[in-house]
Amino acid sequence: MSADQEELFERLATAVFELDEALAAKLSQEVLDRGYDAWNAVEHGLLAGVNRAGKLFDEEEYFVPELLIAADAMYAGLAILRPHIKGHDSGFNRKVVIGVVQGDTHDIGKNLVRIMLEVAGFEVHDLGRDVPPRKFVEAAIALKADVIALSTLMTTTMERMGEVVSILEAEQVRNRFKVIVGGSPLSQQFSDRIGADGYAPKAAQAVELTKRLVGLVNAA
Amino acid sequence: MTIAIRTEQSEELSSLERVVLALQYKKPDRVPAAPLVCGASCRVLGYSYDRWSQDPRIAIASLVAAQELIEFDGFLTLVDLSVEAEDFGQELIFPERSTALPNFDNPFIKTADDYSKVKAVDPRKSRRMSTVIEIVRGLVEAKGDTVPTMGFVYGPLGVLSQIRGHAELFKDIIRHPDRVLEAVHTINKVLVEYALAQIEAGAHAIVLDPLYSSASILKKSTWVKFEAEIFKSVSDAIRDAGVPVLVHNCGGGVYFDAVLEHINPIAISHAYPAHGSANWEEHAANWAKKVVTIGVADPAKVGHEFSQAQVLEDSRQQIETFKVAEGGFILSSGCEFPPNGNLLSARTMVQAARLYGRY
Repeated sequence: MSADQEELFERLATAVFELDEALAAKLSQEVLDRGYDAWNAVEHGLLAGVNRAGKLFDEEEYFVPELLIAADAMYAGLAILRPHIKGHDSGFNRKVVIGVVQGDTHDIGKNLVRIMLEVAGFEVHDLGRDVPPRKFVEAAIALKADVIALSTLMTTTMERMGEVVSILEAEQVRNRFKVIVGGSPLSQQFSDRIGADGYAPKAAQAVELTKRLVGLVNAA
Repeated sequence: MTIAIRTEQSEELSSLERVVLALQYKKPDRVPAAPLVCGASCRVLGYSYDRWSQDPRIAIASLVAAQELIEFDGFLTLVDLSVEAEDFGQELIFPERSTALPNFDNPFIKTADDYSKVKAVDPRKSRRMSTVIEIVRGLVEAKGDTVPTMGFVYGPLGVLSQIRGHAELFKDIIRHPDRVLEAVHTINKVLVEYALAQIEAGAHAIVLDPLYSSASILKKSTWVKFEAEIFKSVSDAIRDAGVPVLVHNCGGGVYFDAVLEHINPIAISHAYPAHGSANWEEHAANWAKKVVTIGVADPAKVGHEFSQAQVLEDSRQQIETFKVAEGGFILSSGCEFPPNGNLLSARTMVQAARLYGRY
């Protein structure tokens, strides 16, 4: 990689990390204008930037607003670069269907997990919030997903997660998908009770859990 | 408000006496137990959640019946976190068996330009806040001599998140700070009146919920700028009316120092150790003598997971941990008792206070 490329990718990473959505888009276009490889710009620019933001989030320097805007900056650049990514193989092709279960609209945690999964290389299909149980199953089947990730912040809607598992069993497709759950009121005990495959108390742990469940890292 | 407390404690104190003493770090007959049974009360008389949360007569009857069944030591008029939002214009969804929620397919504030659409309303006349005021009035009329009724006010930033959408609001805090602040000020003026109206209806105390005073969401200085410095006027107005201010925040890592500095409650109801405290023992050592603790049971575990024996043991451990508070402890769930949770577990928490919480 030339020094010019490196310098541009570093500026791109900094734009994301410093929450400058417009600059991230402008620099992404500059990558294309200069004929640089789009995937390299994603990896060494956009993803590097959002990773730095994530690190600051872990260190309580950044908080939810900063991380959400860093993600917006990443997506702004990605929208420009994605059509020009050719023949890139991230090493795995695993799909995750994610959403907040029906009756709940708290989607911050789900969004953080989605961002981190995307940064980790997963193809994430976000069904949004207030998602009926059957919709998770239908989407997972249609997309041939590997993992169904369910989120909720409310005790009243926790049981919707169990309904997703029940529908998978009723449709005789349970073994096609790994089901993971997360959200403030949940616990490993709850996850076990509804028959989910895993529970993650934090967004970053959801990524490790997902990788482990699809066989990308060895089980602990 | 003056509440006479019997000093001769040969007989069991009333819930009101017990809570008043605990809030002053004076040991009552036993640890009070108030597991925040709010929406769960609808099931005691067999009403649906949507009717419970919109008809004050049903809510009052349900809460009174729940108190008589469970014998908890205080009412909290937390109906849902969308009460204020609807009155500011947000469309809500009322599920039959769950908490009301905003329809975020149709947020009242769709773009940053819409913050100026937020206008002051009269909480005494608006549909949902007036419902809560009536619930306060009915509970005080029914049980005011023996059971405290604690009114509830969601913080202005929380209210705003219910009419804009959480993620969008958090991004607007950075992108459009002045517009957010303008709306927070408008909402806050209404909340002052809302708190005073609940006091006029007889509330013994008001619980304020500054949910985003939490390290799991906002930087401390961000919370101070966008809510604390403004919400302070609500707590001041409550104190000026002679009524105690309490805080509830079920978020992770609550900024106890900033909450005490700006809101200055006499008690904090919470679900997790304060920001900077690694565990409950550390939390208790740091904070239990500075502000009365209300909590700290995990509502999902108590309501959904634990056997009754586990609830007893969990409660016993909390009472033990907060002995250091020298009376300033109310056993409770760290957040609302799950509306669909096992009501027997709420009663078992009260039983645990009787068994293990005698002073």
